Amino acid sequence: MNISASGTGPETPALSADALTVRFGGKTALSEISLSIPRGRVVSIIGPSGCGKTTLLRCFNRMNELLPGAVTTGTVCLNGVDLHGERIDPVEVRRRIGMVFQQATLFPKSVFDNVAFGPRASGYSGDLHVLAEEALTAAGLWSEVAEDLDAPAMELSAGQRQRLCIARTLALKPDILLMDEPTSALDPTATARIEATIHSLKSDHTIVIATHNRAQAARLSDLTGYLDRGELLEYGPTETLFTNPRKRRTEHYLTGRIS
Amino acid sequence: MTVAELSGAGTASRALAERLAGRVFQACAVVATATALAVVGVLGFETVLFFTEVSPARFFTEATWTPFSEEPRFGVLPLLAATAQITVGAAVFAVLPGVMTALYLHQYADARSATVVGTATSLLAGVPTVVYGYIALNFVTPALRAAWPEVEAFNGLSACLVVGLMILPTVVVLSREALESVPASLMEAGLALGATRDRVVVRVLIPAASRGIIGSVVLAMARAAGETMIVTLAAGNQARLTWNPLEGIRTLTAFIGQSSLGDAPSGTLHYRAFFAVGAVLFVVTYVMYAGGRRLLSRRDRDGAR
Repeated sequence: MNISASGTGPETPALSADALTVRFGGKTALSEISLSIPRGRVVSIIGPSGCGKTTLLRCFNRMNELLPGAVTTGTVCLNGVDLHGERIDPVEVRRRIGMVFQQATLFPKSVFDNVAFGPRASGYSGDLHVLAEEALTAAGLWSEVAEDLDAPAMELSAGQRQRLCIARTLALKPDILLMDEPTSALDPTATARIEATIHSLKSDHTIVIATHNRAQAARLSDLTGYLDRGELLEYGPTETLFTNPRKRRTEHYLTGRIS
Repeated sequence: MTVAELSGAGTASRALAERLAGRVFQACAVVATATALAVVGVLGFETVLFFTEVSPARFFTEATWTPFSEEPRFGVLPLLAATAQITVGAAVFAVLPGVMTALYLHQYADARSATVVGTATSLLAGVPTVVYGYIALNFVTPALRAAWPEVEAFNGLSACLVVGLMILPTVVVLSREALESVPASLMEAGLALGATRDRVVVRVLIPAASRGIIGSVVLAMARAAGETMIVTLAAGNQARLTWNPLEGIRTLTAFIGQSSLGDAPSGTLHYRAFFAVGAVLFVVTYVMYAGGRRLLSRRDRDGAR
C-alpha cells in the first residue's frame, strides 16, 4: 500500500494517534493517547522520566512491537493511513518515519557506510555519494567529515556521532523524523549544535522530539505535549502550554516540582 | 555511642578466623599454581632430554614416525598433520551448524524452541567422548563405507564428523554469547533505518559479533586438537603423512594415548617421545586456547562502543 498516496490534503495531519494504548505484561505504559501532528511542524513531547515518551515515539514507527510483551491497541496513522493495517509492512513504515535514539549507536563501519546503510537497505538506485553529502550537510556534519568519509565512525566525538545518526536517518528522506532525547547524553556545546541542526531541518521536515529538557522544547517546538504517567495531559501550541498550562500537573512539571 | 559498645567480644577471634581462612585459600592457590608449573616443568624437562638424542630439525621435518622399530625414526609430521586434519575437519563440520544454531537461538527461536534446542545442545556436551568414539566406529564409519567402499575401517573423515559433533556445543554456546554481547541498540538502529531483520543480522549483528564467533571456533578447535578417545577409536593408529580423509591416521593424542599404556620403560627414548609429542600438543592447544580467549574478551572493542 502506498502510505503517502491517500489523504495528503493540507488538513490531514502528517502523523496522528487515536486512543493509542500500550501495555507491557500487565503494566500500562501509554493510555488512550490521541494527538495529531501537523505537517512541517516541530512537536515536543515532554514529561518526567518513565512517563512513556520513548514508548510513544517508538509506536510512531512500529519499533515498539519489537519489544517482547508489548501489546498495542488504538491506531497510529501516517498521512491518514493506519500503520497497523493488514497490508502495511513495518519495514516500509520505518523508512518513512526515521528515528534518532538517545544513545548515538553507530555501526562499527565508516562514516560513509553509516549514512549509506538505510538507502542501501531500501535498494536506493541513485548516487549514494550525492545522497550522503546532502544528508550530512542537512545534519550539519558535512564540513567536518567531508575530508575523510572512509574514516571509522567510532572515531567521531559524541556530538558528531549524534549528528551522524541524524544524517543517517535523513538519508532515507523520511516524511517524519522522530528524535528520542537526542541531546540528553551530550554536553551543552554539542547540544547547541544539534539544536541548530534541528532548527535548520524545521523548514522542510515534520519532527517529533521527546525530551525532558523543558527549555529545549520551548526553544525548538511549535507544539508541545505533556505526558504524565502514560497519559497525554495536555497538548497544544508551545507558547500556550508554557505560559498558561491548563492542568496543575503540567504546571508543577514546568516549574520543576515534578522532575 | 562509645568505643566499648562497638568493640564486641568476638572481634579478636573473628580477625584470627579471617586470617586463617585467607591462609587456607592462599595455600590452595599455591598448590594449583605449583601443580601447573610442575606439569609444564616435567614436560619441558623430558622434552629437552628427548631433543638431546633426536635433533629438533629432524623431529619437525621428517615424515616417518616409527618409534618401535629397530632403528626408530621420530618425524612428528604425520602426527601433526593428522591432528591438523581432525582439528580443521571438525571445525568445517561444526562451524556452520554451530553458528547458525547460535543465531537461531539468539534471534529467531521463541522461548520454548530455545529451551528445547538449548537442552539438546547441552546434552551433546554431556556425552562422554568414549561414547562418541564408539558411535564413530560402529555407526558413522559403516555408513561412510556403505557410501564409498574405498573408505578404510579407520579413517579421518569419521573422526572429523564425530569430533565436529563433540565441539558443536562449544561453538553454539560461545557464539551465542558473542551475539548476545552485541548491544540490542545496534540491532534497533539497523531496524529503525528500514532494514529487514535478516539484513540487520547479516550486515550488523554478525560483523559486530565476528571476533567473538571466531574466538568460539578457535576454542572449539583447541578442544578438537586435544581430543583423544574419538580419534583413537575412529581414525586409528597408523602414523602416515596423508591428507586423504578416507585413510587411517594417527594424531598426536592417539600416539600418546595408545602407546603410553606402559609398554615403554621409563627413561628410554621412546618414553621421552611421549613427552616431546605431548609438548607439541600442549603448545598447539595452548596457543589456540589463548588466542580464542583473547578474541572473545576483546569482542567489545569493535562493537558499538
